[in-house]
Amino acid sequence: MLYLQDVTIKRGSKIVFYNWNAKIKNSKVTIISGKNGVGKSTLLRAIAGMIPLEKGIVKNYNNEIFKDQIKWGQNLIYIDSKNGLSKDLTVYENLKTWSEMKGWKTSDDDLQKALDSVDMLNRKNLYVSQCSEGLKKRAALSRLYLSLLFDVEFWLLDEPTNELDQNSIILFNKLIQRFLENKGTILLACHELKLFDFNFELLNLDLLKK
Amino acid sequence: MSLQSSFIEIFISHIKREFLINFRSLVDVISIISFMILIVTLFVLGIGPFEEKLRLISNAIFWIGLILAIIPSLEKTLQRDYDNGWLDQTITSPTPMELILLSKSLAYWLIVIIPLLISLPLFIVLLNINLKLIPWLLISILVGGLSISLIGIIGSALTLGAKRGNILLPILIIPLIIPILIFGVGISEAVRINESPVNNLFLLIGFTLIYLVISPFISAFLIRIAISR
Repeated sequence: MLYLQDVTIKRGSKIVFYNWNAKIKNSKVTIISGKNGVGKSTLLRAIAGMIPLEKGIVKNYNNEIFKDQIKWGQNLIYIDSKNGLSKDLTVYENLKTWSEMKGWKTSDDDLQKALDSVDMLNRKNLYVSQCSEGLKKRAALSRLYLSLLFDVEFWLLDEPTNELDQNSIILFNKLIQRFLENKGTILLACHELKLFDFNFELLNLDLLKK
Repeated sequence: MSLQSSFIEIFISHIKREFLINFRSLVDVISIISFMILIVTLFVLGIGPFEEKLRLISNAIFWIGLILAIIPSLEKTLQRDYDNGWLDQTITSPTPMELILLSKSLAYWLIVIIPLLISLPLFIVLLNINLKLIPWLLISILVGGLSISLIGIIGSALTLGAKRGNILLPILIIPLIIPILIFGVGISEAVRINESPVNNLFLLIGFTLIYLVISPFISAFLIRIAISR
């Protein structure tokens, strides 16, 4: 359970959330929806620890998450439209360096399976500079499979389905299904709700702003 | 099954990543060295065929060439990872940003220093550098290069996301590099007039150690600000 208590988030000089309380249920998918510019990405970035809170706290059960940045860093995966792939490396090398940065010891086998889970195994030696946007997104989403092997509790995904084709969305749904079985919690900002074949909680930020 | 790697392993794997990226697109590395060769050549041709003049200022030319050649590539060191979202990934990972930046500056130092050492004979011939100076020159490049890359990371972090960062960066970091230039040239000058260069070397090492301690913290602080914008 993730509790947001009296949270005020500023982006520049603009107040995006003011004394806001929310509860995010665990082992569930919570979809954050709302108009463009309503603050979906800001909320995800704040929870991920990239935007410092002006006021208020975020608790995972009774632990304040930003008190222990190392533990929180082990506990979450954040993927947004920027993907975080270096264009001078191959898909495989990107995944490998990323998992090393997360502090995980992954075998070659794990990495291959991760790429296979998003159907990128046959493209593992492709340079990211040669990938289309959809392929880049799939390469980024292969991290989700790796996180299933380690004790990750949260996925924070900012519009992950934007560039994906039909087949990739099915694979993405499968990954989510497996993560839910592992008692994982997913926070997902998205516009198209009919893409997902599972139950989800809806957090509509438009209602909040009225 | 959470197998936690130690910080040392993460540190080394990060240096490997930087090497992989930089030596795959060799353009940056080659441009630094060729730019430096060009600056030195221009100076030498500009002075004309007077050995006496060259001997007086050859040390200064070498250091100024090195600094001017490094500066254009500094901006990219962090900008690239900022643009593709890698810094977002590092900030949401258990690895402290300071560690990553330290590994980045060490990697950058090695990436610049190795080709420079290879091309050193060329500079020795071009600038007619005295042979007894060479060991001291090597040490001062190694130490001075490290502090230039540590300062450069601060500057690079400071101009992240700024428009016209490539113009702003030199203005911000050249004042910080001045002590390195003074003591670097001081070492060579001391050898030239048969004095002991040790004092200048210790001062250079001292400055480098100060930057080694403060640079990762300052630049991590600046990157957090850049990311939170």
